[in-house]
Amino acid sequence: MITLKNITKIYKTKTIETTALNDIDLHVPKGEFLSIMGPSGCGKSTLLNIIGLLDAPSSGTIEVDGQQVKKYASRATAKFRNEKLGFIFQSFHLIPDLNVIDNVELPLLYRNMPSKKRKEMAASALESVGLANRKSHFPSQLSGGQKQRVAIARAIVGKPNIILADEPTGNLDSVMGDEVMEILGRLNKEDKTTIIMVTHDERMAKKTDRLVRLYDGTQVA
Amino acid sequence: MITNYIKLAIRGMGRRKFFTFISLFGISFTLGILMVNLSFLQSELGANKPLSNKDDFVFMSHLALKRTHFDTIPNIDTTFDQGIAVYDTTFEYKKTGSSMTQSNISHDLIKTFFSNLPSTENLTAFNPESINDVYINGIKLSIQTMYTDANYWKMFDHSFIEGRSFNETDVEISAPVAVISSKTALNYFGVSENVIDKEIEIGNNSYKIIGVFKHVGKFIPFVSPDLVLPYAVEPESPYSNYYNGSYRAMFQKKSDVSVKKMKEDILTAAATIPIDHPDNQYGYNELEVIPASYMESFAQNIYYDKDPEKSLRTAKWIVYSLFLFFLLLPTLNLINLNISRILDRSSEIGVRKAFGAHQGNIIFQFIIENIVQTFIGGVLGLALAIIIINILNKGGFLGSAELNLYPKFFIYSFLATLFFGILSGLLPAWRMSKLHIVKALKNAKL
Repeated sequence: MITLKNITKIYKTKTIETTALNDIDLHVPKGEFLSIMGPSGCGKSTLLNIIGLLDAPSSGTIEVDGQQVKKYASRATAKFRNEKLGFIFQSFHLIPDLNVIDNVELPLLYRNMPSKKRKEMAASALESVGLANRKSHFPSQLSGGQKQRVAIARAIVGKPNIILADEPTGNLDSVMGDEVMEILGRLNKEDKTTIIMVTHDERMAKKTDRLVRLYDGTQVA
Repeated sequence: MITNYIKLAIRGMGRRKFFTFISLFGISFTLGILMVNLSFLQSELGANKPLSNKDDFVFMSHLALKRTHFDTIPNIDTTFDQGIAVYDTTFEYKKTGSSMTQSNISHDLIKTFFSNLPSTENLTAFNPESINDVYINGIKLSIQTMYTDANYWKMFDHSFIEGRSFNETDVEISAPVAVISSKTALNYFGVSENVIDKEIEIGNNSYKIIGVFKHVGKFIPFVSPDLVLPYAVEPESPYSNYYNGSYRAMFQKKSDVSVKKMKEDILTAAATIPIDHPDNQYGYNELEVIPASYMESFAQNIYYDKDPEKSLRTAKWIVYSLFLFFLLLPTLNLINLNISRILDRSSEIGVRKAFGAHQGNIIFQFIIENIVQTFIGGVLGLALAIIIINILNKGGFLGSAELNLYPKFFIYSFLATLFFGILSGLLPAWRMSKLHIVKALKNAKL
C-alpha cells in the first residue's frame, strides 16, 4: 500500500545543511498498524509528513495506494490526500470557531458533497468514537481525550484507506491515551484501515503490528 | 461549504472582538460617509425636481467691468559729449495696470440684451439673496426671499402642493402676490397647506399667498427659496445701475442646441452691451460675462477657476481623488489587520490543506469571511448614514439643503465597499494560501 524508496530529506539554510532522513526504504502493506519510534529530532515526524504527502522528499520515490506521487503542491495531490488519507495530530488542531460536527465534516467540504450527506457521515463518525452527544459543543468545552476523539472522527469521516497519526496520545494521560489507542486498534482490525503512528511511548507501540525505529534520520530497526 | 465559512466568520468575529471592532468601524464609517456624500451630490446635482432641466441650463451670475490703464512713461538717457551732458528723452505708451469691478447684474440689462437669443428656450432672472426677518409669536423667522419673473416657474419644475405660481400678468401689474415653500407655510402659518389667499407680511408690505410648493432643501438658494415674489414688487436698490444689480440669469437652451452654442450666443449678446453708458463712471473700457453650465457653476464652489470648464474638470478630479483616497485608506488598514488576523489561523490553514483544501479553497474561504464582515459593516454603515443625515437635516448644518438616502446609493456604496473589502482580504488570503502545510501546522498555538 505504501512504498518508500531511497527517501532522503535535507533541510538547507544559507549556512547549514541538515539531513533529516537518510535513504529510507519502507513498505507498509494494506491493513498494517505500524508505529515509528525514535529519539527527538530523529526524523519521525518528517517521515510521517512525507508519507502523508504534506512535504516533499529531497530525493527518492513514494508510492501510496498504487499511485506514485510527483507534485506535492498540486490540486491532484490535495484531492488524493482528501480521499485516501486521514490525519491525527498531537495538538488535535481542531478549529476553535467551529463546533464538533463542523470540525468533523471538514474533509468532506472539499468533496462537493451535499450538506445533508456531510452531516450524516460526520454524525456516523462521531458515533463510532462515542461522541454523538457532543456534536454541538465547541472544542473549548471538551477534555483532551474528547478532542482527540473528535480529531479521530475527522480523520475517518471520509473513509480513508490510510490514517497517519503523529503522537496521538502525546498530550493525553494514560487513561485517555488507552481510549484513543483502543479506537485506533478497532479501526485497524474491523475496517482494515492502514495506520502509521509516530510515538514516543513504548507501551502504545507494543499495541501495533510492527515497529520501525529511526535514529538520526536512518532506519535502524 | 459557504454556510460553514459564514459560521466561521461570525464566530471568529465574536472571538476577536478588538479586531472585529476596528474592522467594522472602518467599513461602516467609510460606507456611512460615502453614502452621505453621495446623497449630498445627488441632492444637489441630480436631475430631481425642481432641477429636472438642469442639464439644459447655462448660468450667468456676474458681470465684470474692466479698465486697462495706459500711461506715457518718459525714459531719459544721459550721455556725455566732450564733457557736456546730453539728454535724450523718449516716451513710451504702455499698460501700467488694470482695475475691475464685478457684481451681479441689472435686471433690465438681462432682459434687454439677453432675451430671445437664437439658442434660448427660456430665460429667467432672479435675485435670491434677500433675507427678511419676521417674528411669529415672538420667535424670529428668517425668510430667504427671491425676486424673479414668471419664466422661473417654467424652468424650475417645483412640485406644487396647492395653488399656482405667478404669471406674466401678475408681474406686469406688480401684483402683491407670493409663492411660498411648504416649510415656510409651516413655520409662518403653523400648517404646510390650506394657506392660499392668506397674507404674509414682509417688511412693511403684505402679499397674498397664491401658491405653495414642496420644500426640497438645496444648498443653492435660488433652487430652494422660502418665498418667491415677482421682481416688479422689489424695492428699488440705490446700488443698482445700468450694468450692475442683484440679479443672475439662467438660460435654458433649446433641446437641439449644445451648451457650447448657448454660451457663444450669450457672449455674442454681451458684446453688444454699450460700454459708454453714463453709469460707467470710472471709464471702464471692457465688459465681461462668463456663462457656465449648471454643473460648472457648482464646481466653481469646489475649485474656483475663471474658466468654468477648467473648474469642472479640476473639481471632478478632486472629488474622485478624495473618494478613492477615502476608500483606499481604510482598505490598506484592513489589509494590515487581516494579515495579522490570518496569521493567527495558520494552523487552521495547515489542517485544511492537509485534509484536501487547495490554494483556491483557502482564498475563497477568506474572501467569503471578508464579505460577511463587509456585509455586517455595510448594515452598520447604512444605520450610520441614516443617523448622520438626520442630524444634518434637523440641525440645519447644510443651510436649507436636505439630504435623502437614495437606495441606489446604498447599493453603489455597498458595492464599492464590498470591492475594497474583498481587495483587503485578497492579499492576506493569497499569502496564507501559499503557506507550506508543515510550517503552518508548526505555527499552531497549543
